[in-house]
Amino acid sequence: MSIKDTLFALSGLDSAGNLTEAADKAYSMLKEYVKTEKGPNLTVTGFLKGQTDYTLMIDAHIDQIAMVVTGIDDNGFLTVAKSGGIDIRSLPSRRVTVHAKEKITAVFCATPPHLSSKECEYKDIADIKLDTGLGKKAKDIVSLGDYVTFSEAPKELLGNRVSGRSFDNRACVACVIETVKRLSDKELPFNVAFVLSDGEELGLRGTRTATFKINPKEAIVLDVSFGDGIDIPDTDCGKLGLGGMIGVSPALDRKISDKLIFLAKENKIPYQIEAMGAKSGTNADMISVSREGVRTCTLSIPLRNMHTDVETLDLNDLENVCRLLCEYVLSGGVMNA
Amino acid sequence: MLELLEKLCGIDGVSGNEENVRNFIISQIDGFCEWKTDALGNIIVFKKGKKHPSKKVMVDAHTDEVGLVITNITTDGFLKFKVVGGIDISALMFRSVKIGSVNGVICGKPIHLLDKKESEKLPSEDSLYIDIGAENTEQAEKYVRIGDTAVICGGFEANGDKIISKALDDRLGCAILIKLIKSYDEYDFYASFSVQEELGLRGAKTAAFAINPECAIVLEGTTAADIAGVNETDSVCSLGKGPAVSFMDRATVYDRDFYRKALDSGILCQPKRAVAGGNNSGAIHLSREGVRTIAVSVPCRYIHTASSIADINDFENAYKLAVYMLNGILSGEIG
Repeated sequence: MSIKDTLFALSGLDSAGNLTEAADKAYSMLKEYVKTEKGPNLTVTGFLKGQTDYTLMIDAHIDQIAMVVTGIDDNGFLTVAKSGGIDIRSLPSRRVTVHAKEKITAVFCATPPHLSSKECEYKDIADIKLDTGLGKKAKDIVSLGDYVTFSEAPKELLGNRVSGRSFDNRACVACVIETVKRLSDKELPFNVAFVLSDGEELGLRGTRTATFKINPKEAIVLDVSFGDGIDIPDTDCGKLGLGGMIGVSPALDRKISDKLIFLAKENKIPYQIEAMGAKSGTNADMISVSREGVRTCTLSIPLRNMHTDVETLDLNDLENVCRLLCEYVLSGGVMNA
Repeated sequence: MLELLEKLCGIDGVSGNEENVRNFIISQIDGFCEWKTDALGNIIVFKKGKKHPSKKVMVDAHTDEVGLVITNITTDGFLKFKVVGGIDISALMFRSVKIGSVNGVICGKPIHLLDKKESEKLPSEDSLYIDIGAENTEQAEKYVRIGDTAVICGGFEANGDKIISKALDDRLGCAILIKLIKSYDEYDFYASFSVQEELGLRGAKTAAFAINPECAIVLEGTTAADIAGVNETDSVCSLGKGPAVSFMDRATVYDRDFYRKALDSGILCQPKRAVAGGNNSGAIHLSREGVRTIAVSVPCRYIHTASSIADINDFENAYKLAVYMLNGILSGEIG
């Protein structure tokens, strides 16, 4: 399976809260190559044994943004709450999946033309009802707390560009699975724990407990970061297709950043620097302060339209992240630094 | 008729670029009627029946759908566009589009990079671009030409009584009209599959001139606002209560006798409860010396979006009402 096929397979499945589809699929993919554990929650962990007790943890969250049903009226319209950051301005007339007793397609209400006004304000997702089209029957099928997810299928754009839902962070999950595949028959200088963690979109929760359990010496966090686009300042984003973004920040381990940059240069792997003021807003913020502290760095994939149905990326960046990760592991990371 | 509707909705036909819809319709009606196309791309149909009526009646549906037209390509390979027909900005944001066979997405700033004020107001149409994955103008130009049209993607789903799809306005009307041409054969009648309704009822103007009818039946989809947060008095019409019959909208005052006869037909239908919107009736009823006109519309929630919702029963009742009115007018029982 190519990285693209893995990404498309995982993007088409949903994992948030009790939706385990994507996590189950990732588990079955990983376990073909390594010893793999499930749980708690959506977390999936694969282990590669190395020649020392030193452990590197590679983290990519597997959960996605979603919504949760908080109200059901008599006419089949639902009220939802956000589970992760969503641009509510783009919801009206959007088709989504309600993960009820059965999967239902529903459409967010849009103001009809004869009632629309230019001054419309979008303040609260609770104001935008979700139309199941089921009328009274909705109450028999939908329950409070059911998850609602975007429903766009992944698709190819020109060149190596692709678009779809939940590329944040299935792009990185696909990189983890590909990296495991490439390293599984190699002699490794240390143990590597590949953690597909839960609850990132709700505040970096899942990796907190996973890191405690694994107790790594160092960690690399794979996540997506802002890709270039119209009206997005160059200083706030990475360019699609120019390689993974190596994090450099006071809150990250500079030795790992430097080693990644060194390896990228030496092996002619395209890369970009993502310099940040302090916190990265990724699982790295949580992992680095676990137990007695963990050397942690980020390696990110530039992504356009983050947290939408049409997240867009360049597959070359995924390939280059995998190459760099393999070089990093095989070179012993910063174990001897 | 549902299968036919699914096929029709799956074809992309933004106003002015309706050739694929036209060709499909011709493939369906060929052999059942006499047809020709005119300079604008309308299909003008004469269906011979068992009897010759005293009145000339034209039944109309429009072939176009709302969409986008590409107006420019940036140096970074993004496509600038203008909206064709009325589409809300929210229905454009972060949507999948297709320009012929080329996939694209309407891109924008992620929520994380917006300040509070920005995040509560819609962006301007001018700030939206299509990303087809091109890295520069040259690469984009190999696949897309300025003037090409784009549709917002929205597949066809039938869920219980409900249909969700793009282009329900007016492939619902096209499907009903195709079935009429194939199965109604009591009296001779005329029909037009008209282009460019969404640009201001253009095709219907020339089609009505060519056919020169005395009466017309316009088959449409219309706004249903029977949704959460809207007062019942503003709902216009409701799903499941039959096709909507108009007495007046922003383009037409309809023939009152036809309107009343439709409501008294015994077929489940409802008055369109607002003076809003407009359709090809606006062009047809003013053609030449004037044409007595009725509009029969299938209620659609979220009309002009890629996820319009209609009710299968309304669609079927609209067909029945169209047959009733057509036969009534042609036989002289109505009007």
